[in-house]
Amino acid sequence: MGNPMKIRAASKDGITEVKVLISHEMETGQRKDSAGAIVPAWFIKELTAKHNDKVVLSSEFGSSVSKNPYLAFKFKGGAKGDKVSVSWTDNKGDSRTDEATIA
Amino acid sequence: MSRFSRFILSLAFAGAATSAVAFENFKGIGRPATPAEIKAWDIDVRPDFKGLPKGSGSVSQGEVIFEEKCASCHGTFGESNEVFTPLVGGTTKDDIKTGHVRALATGDLPQRTTFTKVATISTIFDYIQRAMPWTAPKSLKPDEIYGILAYLLNLSEIVPSDFVLSDKNIADIQKMMPNRNGMTTNHGMWPGAPASKGGIGNGGKPDVQAKACMKNCKTEVRIGSILPDYARNAHGNLEDQNRNFGPVRGVKTGESLAAAPKNSAELELATISGCMACHGINNKIVGPGYNEVQLRYKDQTDAEDRLSRKVREGGQGAWGSIPMPANEHVKEADAKTLVRWILSGAK
Repeated sequence: MGNPMKIRAASKDGITEVKVLISHEMETGQRKDSAGAIVPAWFIKELTAKHNDKVVLSSEFGSSVSKNPYLAFKFKGGAKGDKVSVSWTDNKGDSRTDEATIA
Repeated sequence: MSRFSRFILSLAFAGAATSAVAFENFKGIGRPATPAEIKAWDIDVRPDFKGLPKGSGSVSQGEVIFEEKCASCHGTFGESNEVFTPLVGGTTKDDIKTGHVRALATGDLPQRTTFTKVATISTIFDYIQRAMPWTAPKSLKPDEIYGILAYLLNLSEIVPSDFVLSDKNIADIQKMMPNRNGMTTNHGMWPGAPASKGGIGNGGKPDVQAKACMKNCKTEVRIGSILPDYARNAHGNLEDQNRNFGPVRGVKTGESLAAAPKNSAELELATISGCMACHGINNKIVGPGYNEVQLRYKDQTDAEDRLSRKVREGGQGAWGSIPMPANEHVKEADAKTLVRWILSGAK
């Protein structure tokens, strides 16, 4: 279980905009620490966003994505009060799901 | 600070304290500031919370205001690095406990943020009140500022999402600021008396010594590295690729690519004298081209004298409203040479 994501979702004219700030180290596996040892890779591999139970975004992340990544996307539909949930899985098998209500 | 603004300030301070006395020295100049004027000017919020307006705002109120007025530049989560550096990020739960942002020491941060640096929450309040939003500074009401600040504190994971910040509890939040112990005043950049005299600075003593080192001096210059032979011509003539003024010149390597015909001595003179910045040989730049000048004056016998005077003294009107500045650095003889050159066709 990583740290919680921050999610904001707002619906306007039938389009919902979702903004997510993910808290994750996103270590590339190519850096060395001060002792010269390689810092092991640790990054999000898959990220899925759902509106209620329907998948609206499905993506594969990699080591090129920054630490604590920011993600914003829009989808058609979504009404005030609906749930938006975002979940990720990283290469260590860790995963996390967070949920927000559309404003 | 200019003498003028120092004068204004002294007026303002004097107005606040003893208005009558100060104006003895400046008879007939200005008037004491009115209490309303001083109130409008005196908006600072200090680390001891002197000057802090009363009010309160919740995280959720702040979120609405932030989204409306702040997020377009700072990002919804205060994370944006597009317009300004990020407001939030880089602080940990541990930093909130210790009051030192560890990432500043370890260098783990890709980017410093407001909350990694600022030591006093009053500073953020003061800054928002004074300068934000960028397009309409001083437009936020105290309650709105409390709300925005509560939202930022929540984003920094200092307070929970149902928190209400007010003038009553802001002092408690100060005790949780991540970099609250990170501020040092014992250095020359901090104004005021040294600690031994009751101040908090070091009396303005710089931390550089500027002492000439007179030991183990080197007796000769040894060049540390040179361009190896095989690389000398790898990128053409380096001399051509560097500016021909300033401290750094390119070394000449190989043939010059632009084997340009040598310019006439007069053209060189015009270039060093700065004429070519505004005049073209066959075209107008700011001033008229030399072809136009020649065309107008070629039949006037006294043109050479008049124009060479004009080169040195400047003029306006003959070629439109943009004036020609005076060029006293051009020697009289040079000015004559240049004018003769222009009138003979400037080749």
